[in-house]
Amino acid sequence: MSQKSDSSLQFVFSCPLASGLHARPASHLAEVANQFASECSITNLRNGRVANAKSVLGIIAADVRHGDRCTLHVSGPDVHTALTALRRFIETVLPQCDVPLAPIASSPRSKPPRILQTANATYVPGIPVSRGIGQGKVVILKRMTLPKVAGNPSAGDLQKELGRVEEAIGAVRHRIGEKLKYSLTPTGSAVLQADLAMAGDVLLLEKLREQVRLGKTAGQAVVETGEFFVDLLGHSENEYIRQRSADIEEICLQLLEEVSEISPPATIDLNEPSVLVAETLGPQQLLELDRRWLKGLVIEHSSATSHAAILARSLSIPTLAGVRNARLVLTSGREVVVDANRGFVVPQSSAAVRRFYEREQETLGRRKKMRSREAEASARTADGRSIEVGANASSGEELSLAFENGADGIGLFRTEMIFLGREDAPTEDEQFAIYSEAARIAGTRPVIIRTFDIGGDKKVPYLNLPHEENPFLGYRGIRIYQQHRELLQSQLRAILRASAAGSVRIMAPMVTSLEELLQFKAEVARAKQHLAHHGLEFKGDVQIGMMIEVPSVAFILDELCKEADFFSIGTNDLSQYFFASDRGNARIAGRFTVQHPAFLRFLKQVVEQIRPSGKWVGMCGEMAADLRNAPLLLGLGLDEISVLAADVHDFKRAISRLRTADCVNIFDRAMACREASGVEELLAEQPHPPEPLLSEELVLLESTSRTKEEAIHEMVDAFYISSRTEDRDHLEEALWAREAEYSTGLGHGFAIPHCKTDAVTANSICILRLKEPIDWDSIHGEKVRMVVLLALRESEVANTHMQVFSSLARKLDDDDFRQHLLKFDKAEQLTIYLGEQLGFASSPLNLGPLLTERPVQSRIP
Amino acid sequence: MKIVAVTACPTGIAHTYMAAARLEKVAKNFGFDIKVETQGAMGIENKLTESDIRQAQIAIFAVDIEVEGRERFNGVKVIQVPLQEALKNPENIFSKIQR
Repeated sequence: MSQKSDSSLQFVFSCPLASGLHARPASHLAEVANQFASECSITNLRNGRVANAKSVLGIIAADVRHGDRCTLHVSGPDVHTALTALRRFIETVLPQCDVPLAPIASSPRSKPPRILQTANATYVPGIPVSRGIGQGKVVILKRMTLPKVAGNPSAGDLQKELGRVEEAIGAVRHRIGEKLKYSLTPTGSAVLQADLAMAGDVLLLEKLREQVRLGKTAGQAVVETGEFFVDLLGHSENEYIRQRSADIEEICLQLLEEVSEISPPATIDLNEPSVLVAETLGPQQLLELDRRWLKGLVIEHSSATSHAAILARSLSIPTLAGVRNARLVLTSGREVVVDANRGFVVPQSSAAVRRFYEREQETLGRRKKMRSREAEASARTADGRSIEVGANASSGEELSLAFENGADGIGLFRTEMIFLGREDAPTEDEQFAIYSEAARIAGTRPVIIRTFDIGGDKKVPYLNLPHEENPFLGYRGIRIYQQHRELLQSQLRAILRASAAGSVRIMAPMVTSLEELLQFKAEVARAKQHLAHHGLEFKGDVQIGMMIEVPSVAFILDELCKEADFFSIGTNDLSQYFFASDRGNARIAGRFTVQHPAFLRFLKQVVEQIRPSGKWVGMCGEMAADLRNAPLLLGLGLDEISVLAADVHDFKRAISRLRTADCVNIFDRAMACREASGVEELLAEQPHPPEPLLSEELVLLESTSRTKEEAIHEMVDAFYISSRTEDRDHLEEALWAREAEYSTGLGHGFAIPHCKTDAVTANSICILRLKEPIDWDSIHGEKVRMVVLLALRESEVANTHMQVFSSLARKLDDDDFRQHLLKFDKAEQLTIYLGEQLGFASSPLNLGPLLTERPVQSRIP
Repeated sequence: MKIVAVTACPTGIAHTYMAAARLEKVAKNFGFDIKVETQGAMGIENKLTESDIRQAQIAIFAVDIEVEGRERFNGVKVIQVPLQEALKNPENIFSKIQR
């Protein structure tokens, strides 16, 4: 901190947010700045822009991006308190302010699928900003724009006009506040909060007043001011800031309505499945639409970061942006399809288009069903050992995502966020609402709630924790509980009460000694007593466990096992304390990884010492979050791993292909490595455990496809349904590229389309038998009844699977073999027959007892 | 008569091997002794040795791409056809040889 004069101070910071200082964090920062009388300004040292830190608009316009260095300058009567508060905010709260946005959908495909191309369907491309497919009638939204100011400003009563402006601001803020009350999603709330802050922005008010003082009416002032900001933000090089000009325009239109210069736009009544087509769309406009009938959105502006797009994603409304001339091309009242998975609108649906999308809906439905079936099955290794795959979560949203992906529980429910970014401690009831909601969503699945781990990197204003030179080795986690006993009590009571609603467990952070655990248990007992005394319901036998993240506990596990019901290894802190190596220090961060043999040996000791007690031991933290570590995690012998909510499905799939004995072997070899690089190499050389070449989902014996295009598409869909491809277009293109060489029709009613592409996740054989033979441009011009599709991963060509492919190709030359393939009624029979003929085992993975237990499973030795 | 043959197709996944099977089968019907080398996704298999080639009266290339190690066949009479020909009309190829 450098001191310029007595009443002026400044400090330098760099922006910690990945998406920069955008509208939502800026509104929080301005909120803090506005609590003080001092003037606060931010200078972006990258571009030299200076902004009033009390103005959201000003901060946004300074275009502060991730890593930009900025000076915060404060001067005025309360300079010291203001600077301390702002500094604390920037250092501790700001990094948490970045509500992660759902990933923006990929760039659009240039072409629609071949079936639609051959059906001569026209299409209008756009950028998918919220995925999904929607069908409905076009409703065109007329754009409201700020009217041009006509004539000379009429000099009115200055005070009266100023009053109207201020009243209008109050009324608009009230309107937004009302919407906020009924907001259903956190994303919706965050967007509305940013709008609320923008409507009350000091720069906005300043500009409005300036205009009125020039003699303009309230309405004219709003129009001029609106134009000024739309222009200012609209010309930014930053896409995100440009999008904010739509927000400010919407707010100014609302102000204009309030000063009664224009009549509010008629609200759009949707009463049938509809696709809304607009030039731009304000977030509040979107929230006003009847979502039961809103099946899709088509926006002309390219605006993946517009608040409307962000909202559309959170509400799962299929949305395309950047659709040029959409209002001209799409005729009002016409039935259209918005395909925001692929990135185009089909402006007029024909029989072929309808057939395509009917089949598409069926495919998507079957894929969803398939994935949820897989999700429900517990994770089992190929040899049948089960391991719980839980997820880390800190909100209801993450929890839901985790269970959608098949999580067996929540291995770590962090509670710090509930305590951060606020002036007062959360109440017991407030916490109870959050924990019981989590327990309710989880149902019978366990939720491990970790009591607050604050201090160190996470600070909370109302706890008044002292600044420390080395906070990670200081006053944090369980160590502060004695001083903040009442805060702990209220959290424990809230968790215990939530235990009545589901399967909740309590976990203590940063335990270093037995005494701490005993004290913690005493606190839980005290909270129980309190609840019992007040007749409040809770589960008496709630499990109490502890994090293993301080190395000292590894030497007293025999004692701890007598007291703790379960353990969870937190590898982030454990490794940093174990290696005496700060994870945030770039100079040493890469040197000591969780894959280091020293750390692996340590982990092994920990797990082996817990093992005799039969106590449950899981792992949360980054080691468990990395799919490459899966063999190590299984080899270590954990009961559970807790991973990112989004990764649960992938982990379960990976585990189902591993064998316990192999993993134990890999772990032993890893421990024996002399250097960390050896472990990395060891893991890298592990074969990608192969999935069976053929599974029943890839055998389609009753196909009603009518053309070669449909048949190929149906087979590609089968890959998608069984999660063997995530990129259907790419796979389909690869197959057609091969067809372009010469037809893969073989004669005898057979065709053998094939390709080499990494668009498939596993080498596969797919078989399709047609009810009615179709043309295949075959050598003999003969129709095709049976299609055998071979897909090989390009990067894994030198694989034993290729031997299976070549012997299949040879066998297809054999009459007997072909006759056999034609006669089976059931996919299962055909799968078994092929397995026998070609010498590979086949079975659907993850589901039920595994047939893959046959010794012939192909695998690189 | 001793014949050697090479099959190769663009992707090397299916047709290379199908054509090899077809040539072997049809050659047998004609009473020819044949050895077929495949140049596919697994690289060269059933590789023709120097003595295989030296003993052969004729070499059949049923290929859509360049034959790897073509120089091995210097001095041997070669019939080259598109791979499809070996699948469509293998008999034609052998009838020609017979004549």
